[in-house]
This record gives sequence, C-alpha cells and structure tokens, in this order.
Amino acid sequence: MKEIMVVVRMKKTGATKKALVAAGVAGFTAVKVSGRGRLVTDPVQIEECKAKLLAMGMTDLGDAGDTEKLITSFLDGSRLFPRRLFTILAHDDDVPRIVEAITKANRTDYGIGDGAIFVMPILDAVRVRTGESGEAAIW
Amino acid sequence: MIRAIVRPEKKDDVLAELSSAGFNAATMVDVVGRGKQKGIKIGGMVYDEIPKILILVAIQDTDKDAVIKTILRTAKTGAEGTFGDGKIFVSPIEEVYTISKGIAGL
Repeated sequence: MKEIMVVVRMKKTGATKKALVAAGVAGFTAVKVSGRGRLVTDPVQIEECKAKLLAMGMTDLGDAGDTEKLITSFLDGSRLFPRRLFTILAHDDDVPRIVEAITKANRTDYGIGDGAIFVMPILDAVRVRTGESGEAAIW
Repeated sequence: MIRAIVRPEKKDDVLAELSSAGFNAATMVDVVGRGKQKGIKIGGMVYDEIPKILILVAIQDTDKDAVIKTILRTAKTGAEGTFGDGKIFVSPIEEVYTISKGIAGL
C-alpha cells in the first residue's frame, strides 16, 4: 500500500483527474496549497524570463517600479505560488502506472514549476462504510 | 518528508530561514486543529479549531537535522516556547519524481 502525494498546477487539476480515471484510479483527495520549488540559479534564464514577464505587464498603467518589483519577487523565490495537492492511495503494483500517467498529464514546456510526486508507505487503511481494512480498503 | 504545523504568523519567518538555509522548496496548507490542551478557553467560549499552517518539505535524509533545527528555532514564540507553537512530524518517502524534468529525484 502506498500513498502518492502530487503537487500540480491549478490549471492541470482537470487534466490530472482525467489521467487518473484513465489509469483506473478514481479515488483521491485534493486540497489547495501554496508553495515554492527549487530556486532557478541560472542568471541567463532569470533575465530571459524577467524580460518576457515585463513585456506582458501593462506599463502605461500604475507604477512601472511596482511591476518590476512584483516580477522580481516571482523569480527570486520570495513568492508562493498556488498549487493543488492530490493524495492518492494505491496498491504497490499500480504506483509506476499512476506516476507515469500523472507525469504525462502535467509536464509542460516551461521546464520548471510542474510539481513533484512523492511516494510514501502507508501501514493500514480502513473503509468506514464496510469496516474492511488493508489492501481491500483502497478500491 | 518533514511535516511541520506552525503558527500562521510564523510562516514567513520559517520560510525565509529555510530558504536561506538552502531548502527553498516547500508546500503550505492552511489547516485547523487543536492540541493536547484541548483548544483555548477565552471567557466561556472554547476554541478548538485553531488555524495553523502545515508546511511540507521534502529533503534528503542527511539534511533532516538541519531542517528540524531551523524550524524549531524559528517557529518558537518566546525564549521558552508557548503552547500552540506546533509540531514536527518526519515520515519516509520511498520515491520522488520531478514532473518538469520527467525524472526520479528531487
């Protein structure tokens, strides 16, 4: 028995749900979380991203300094981003299949910020309706 | 994986300290709960759904002590600590996958 915790983009919640159903896993719990990931240290990549974001901002309205401050805080790791945390219980044999399905559904071209999958052991589970425990309680 | 329950007002301190200690990645969940003091009694009213922040940090085994020490130091209120400062739980992770890289590992 394994517990799979997955952090995904808010936009990818629907895609993740569909991927899970397609993989034969209908049951899961999801909560809204905020968080941050590994810091990008490559200065070239940061500058590139900053220029792209600045071009998207409205410079004619408000203070341009504020916009730049906001965008800098996006990139220096001081800001938290909204994400969805899925918790899925699975049989040992199904874990690779589920991990692959989630990865396929969530991977984007951005190269960063797509989330992480954690696989953790679970000692026991009990289905409240029937009282059955162990592997039978998962699905 | 380290799961730490801390006061909401201490969240920013803990995150800043973790980041400067080299552990930038973390996930935060808003939670409510009570401890062994059975909540807080103010006047005749008992509050047993006290808001806290649950911080999830995935780290290497060797970094465990450093992370725990950082959280213990920053999440404490007062020199001696106070009821309601929270708890830290440590649980094993068997596998980690980074989705954007499509590989196993942190």
